[in-house]
Amino acid sequence: MRLDADEREFMCSGHAACPGCGAVIALRIFTKAMGENTILVIPASCTGVIVGVYPQSVMRIPVVHAPMPAGASVASGLRAALDMRGDTDTTVVAWAGDGGTFDIGFQALSGAVERNEDFIYVCYDNEAYMNTGIQCSSSTPYGAWTTTTPGQDWKRLRKKNIVEALVAHRIPYVATANIAFPEDLVRKVKKAKSIKGSKFLHIFASCPPGWRIPSEISVKTARMAVQANIFPLYEVEDGVRYTINYKGKQRPVQDYFEVQGRFSHLTAEDFEQIQKMVEEDWELLQRKAGDQAADACIQSSSAKRAIKPNKVF
Amino acid sequence: MSVAMGQKPFVVITYETTESNKTGSWRFLKPRYQDKQSPCSAGCPAGEDIGMIEMLARQGLFNEAWEMILRENPLPGVCGRVCFHPCESVCNRKDFDSPIAVHTLERFLADTAAGKGLATTPQKLPKRNQRIAVIGAGPAGLSAAWFLSMLGYPCDIFEALPEAGGILRWGIPEYRLPLAVLQSEIARIRSQGVHILTKKAVSSESFHELRRSYSAVFLGCGHAHGAPLGIAGETPESVKDGLDFLRRARQGERPLCDGFSVVIGGGNTAVDVARTITMSGGNAAILYRRRREDMPAFGDEIAMALEEGVGLEELVAPSAIECHDGRLRLLLRKMKIKGRDKDGRGRIVFDGKKTVKKVVDHIFAATGATAAELWYSPPLAQRGVIGFSHCVLLLEEGGAPVIYGGDLTNEAKNVAQAIASGKQAAMVLDTYFERGIDEIKPRLEACVVGDGPALSMEAYLGGPRGLRSSHLVQYAEINTDYFQNETRVTQPRLAVEDRSRSVNEIELPITAETALRESGRCFNCGLCDECDNCYVFCPDAAVIRGQHMENRHINYDYCKGCGVCFTECPRHAVIMGEEGS
Repeated sequence: MRLDADEREFMCSGHAACPGCGAVIALRIFTKAMGENTILVIPASCTGVIVGVYPQSVMRIPVVHAPMPAGASVASGLRAALDMRGDTDTTVVAWAGDGGTFDIGFQALSGAVERNEDFIYVCYDNEAYMNTGIQCSSSTPYGAWTTTTPGQDWKRLRKKNIVEALVAHRIPYVATANIAFPEDLVRKVKKAKSIKGSKFLHIFASCPPGWRIPSEISVKTARMAVQANIFPLYEVEDGVRYTINYKGKQRPVQDYFEVQGRFSHLTAEDFEQIQKMVEEDWELLQRKAGDQAADACIQSSSAKRAIKPNKVF
Repeated sequence: MSVAMGQKPFVVITYETTESNKTGSWRFLKPRYQDKQSPCSAGCPAGEDIGMIEMLARQGLFNEAWEMILRENPLPGVCGRVCFHPCESVCNRKDFDSPIAVHTLERFLADTAAGKGLATTPQKLPKRNQRIAVIGAGPAGLSAAWFLSMLGYPCDIFEALPEAGGILRWGIPEYRLPLAVLQSEIARIRSQGVHILTKKAVSSESFHELRRSYSAVFLGCGHAHGAPLGIAGETPESVKDGLDFLRRARQGERPLCDGFSVVIGGGNTAVDVARTITMSGGNAAILYRRRREDMPAFGDEIAMALEEGVGLEELVAPSAIECHDGRLRLLLRKMKIKGRDKDGRGRIVFDGKKTVKKVVDHIFAATGATAAELWYSPPLAQRGVIGFSHCVLLLEEGGAPVIYGGDLTNEAKNVAQAIASGKQAAMVLDTYFERGIDEIKPRLEACVVGDGPALSMEAYLGGPRGLRSSHLVQYAEINTDYFQNETRVTQPRLAVEDRSRSVNEIELPITAETALRESGRCFNCGLCDECDNCYVFCPDAAVIRGQHMENRHINYDYCKGCGVCFTECPRHAVIMGEEGS
């Protein structure tokens, strides 16, 4: 595939990410889509370590390291400082992991987007605290092994739906993206960049050591999450207009779980239960996107003025 | 601590990049670009580079695609129509949805080139001193001459009939292979410098004469002599030769089609005879001793024949012919299937003593053919006779080498095998003249496509194709996430009612748009098409290429060997190998 993105690299080789790191694939494609007038704010995370251990930096654009809970706050401050200097060309991006978004950074994020701060907040999601040794986060999915949910005590709680939490703030743009769909990712980044106010991108990024997968299937595994509707690709504008972006090849959830060591303890019954949970979520999303509602409208009365799908919710 | 105006606060700022960390030292598996063999190319007796041809076609480079066919096959317009396209039955796409319509695309490329009046200038080596005589201007002889002239050898083809083409000219009905198509292919071969001398029959005496005046003789006289049925009551009047019938029809004679005709056999000739009769207003049925699915004729041709009103009776074998009130009574024995033959088809045995009688007006035999003269066929294994996959070389004192090809040396008698034998013969003779007898086999082995026996002339001439790995790409090695299900092109055809009494071609051409779409379905197994996935996904920014996708390579200083490029390559053009191997 050819990307509609900058030919230049904003990431240097020689970084310390593990082989096949999904976060780095996400960051590389993201920065190529953003271009050079970008400042990254990176709270404590894998990327924080990968991007710069003093005195080296991976990025060819400015990076400000932030404390783990403060990604959104630092980004807000930077935006204010740029505004004071009259710099409207530079985009501020907060780049945080799932720990720094779902858990530790959530308060700052909620506050900042409530103020509709003009930045792009990216959560690259590898579903646990990978940098510190694969501890469970509120993004860790149902069924997963981590070092804090070991053995038979695997996580029996659902993954927090961070996208819906952000949608509830009614910010201008919320979207999911996935490293296995770079064209979709680039389009969403460019769209986010063109919108004023708070934008939230939730990028699914595999972690070979944390997910217990061989590095070569890093992208393939991430793709399977979309194919199995575990991580649907969609975007929400102004908190109401839902658009589902991927309706291609489908797979059962089992395909996705079977390739990952972190799910190796799951049984056929577990898969069945997870499949049900995924289908429930998928149907809910489809209803929000108006797919079924729109169909129902057309069936019930073709004479009535069709209700716009986004008015249903 | 307060900061004075104009003084910068203390901030830790990095001052160098990570490029001094050569993370390539982490690697224990090394990715490498490596083009491989697609199963279609290996399945094509002529060894056409199909994956590459479809890649060019998809990019709209129709001329280049056509020229690429010509490097391995001088008859794309013919093969696009009458080849049995074994390439399609091994196409990896069959496991995904349905195979690529390779023959339809080949015909499209040939027709497009002919329509534009394109002339090609294939790579031609400097002229050599050895002159070669080619006997028979059928597909084998034409190919041998084409490839020999490519290698620099002046060739003269001796053809007994008034026009060149052999079985293509005289044995295949015009509705399948229009004369203009064949003529344009032959014109191109002539323009390459090949002399075709028609009405020059070679007898066993003049053959020896040729062996004295030429440096080598290629013998490709084909199997043009219909084989008899070998049953009681069979006479030249009662049983007519199917091939001879087709030849007369091509010569412009009105086909014999009064009353009811039966054609005995299951190959393309049988179907062609029956269809020709039906299209001329007659009534015909095919009698075959096995079942429809066992018929060697093309499935599509059989289906069209039935559509047109040809009858088909399976599991009957002729046993005797009697005269019956000026008509013929054909006695048939019923057959049944019992077990399987070695080739996978059902084994047939007599179904007890059951018989059927049929009163008919004409009986045509189309059960195979043989060489018209005994000396056409290669001598049995002996000193000086060297057998190859598609041809046989005879070296003996007192005469130039003779190389036998086409039907004479191939179990499967078809155009593609004939082309393969012509190509192989050219390689054999060239190596024999240039490097001697012992070099022939190793040199041929180096030009094998995949697991063979197809040979590549491009590889023989030292082209980049010879550098590919011999690995045949399997379906499981294709990353199908990058391909969408898409229906195969439906071959457009004349409506049944428009086919009768017409010499128009029944299969119609496809549009350029359809050709683009169909070639876009091709997996291009094992061939890099610069899709750029390896570059896009590399976490270490270690895939380097120019802005125009040129000089793609891996920067091993930083590549950690994660293998994402290997998995995400849709076409299996990247391999992972142990470091240092």
